[in-house]
Amino acid sequence: MNIAHSIQSIDFLTAFSESVLAYPIVLSTHLTCIALFGGMILMTNLRLLGLTFKSLTITEMVTGFRPWKRAGGTVMIATGMLLAASEAEKYAPNPYFWTKMIVLGLIGVHALIFRPIVYNQTEELDRSPTIPTRARVAALLSLALWIAMFTMGRLIAYWEGYEG
Amino acid sequence: MLLQNAIADALNNTEWAFPLAECIHIGGFAVGIGSIALVDFRMLNLGLRHETAARILRYTEPWTLIALVFVLFSGAALFLSQTNIYLMNLIFPLKMYVLLAALIYNFTVHRKVAAMENPPPVLSKVVAIVSLLLWVSVVFGGIFTGFLE
Repeated sequence: MNIAHSIQSIDFLTAFSESVLAYPIVLSTHLTCIALFGGMILMTNLRLLGLTFKSLTITEMVTGFRPWKRAGGTVMIATGMLLAASEAEKYAPNPYFWTKMIVLGLIGVHALIFRPIVYNQTEELDRSPTIPTRARVAALLSLALWIAMFTMGRLIAYWEGYEG
Repeated sequence: MLLQNAIADALNNTEWAFPLAECIHIGGFAVGIGSIALVDFRMLNLGLRHETAARILRYTEPWTLIALVFVLFSGAALFLSQTNIYLMNLIFPLKMYVLLAALIYNFTVHRKVAAMENPPPVLSKVVAIVSLLLWVSVVFGGIFTGFLE
């Protein structure tokens, strides 16, 4: 717990977690990103599953949202780090927090696996008469990972093991 | 009253029911607001430029509607589980007014302008910005309900 205690004792993090307004504002920003970019992730994946946006090519969907998703992801991670670090002692023993971090890692693995064979091959996918299985698998896994992500995020607040 | 008690009992006496309703609420607003935001981003000329806003609205609207139904029902269940706490809250009533405004706006002004063939660019942009502001305010209202009592 020492490291966790040292982290949350950093002056500006202490000030942050004790501020009446700053903490909820950053948390709201974290959730606003989920709302704004959740829609992009969902629609991109639904397009890969062939369920909607059929008049747009997969290339347009994937590349069109890429800069937005990157910006959104950066804000999400930055605000998330601020939230977790300011209450590091509470988060360190919380199993839901670590499950969420594992899911985050799996999202990275998903990107490593599927970026070269799906998301960077969209023109090939657009030429194919039917959407290949690997694209559908990528989409379904992506959806499952994001659902796990926000579910674990919410459950962090419910763990009662910490007595501080 | 009877229904309210039944819902409150279910959410308060089952350990996982309240967090489950919250997760449905979050997942629902992510999809609902996210799909509306796609139309707004298009109206602001920020993405999906190969397609008209009207067409994007047609694609996203069914998902918006389904998601909003989930958000409203899970939200109502959360509210009914502890009505007195929400009614005494300073922020919650504000959130409800903004939500009402956002819903009415979305299905009247926003829908009409998004579906227009050639809307004046300024009109499109103003309508999209108001839409984004309204929905982001609803999200902030939800979080602040939990923080300022």
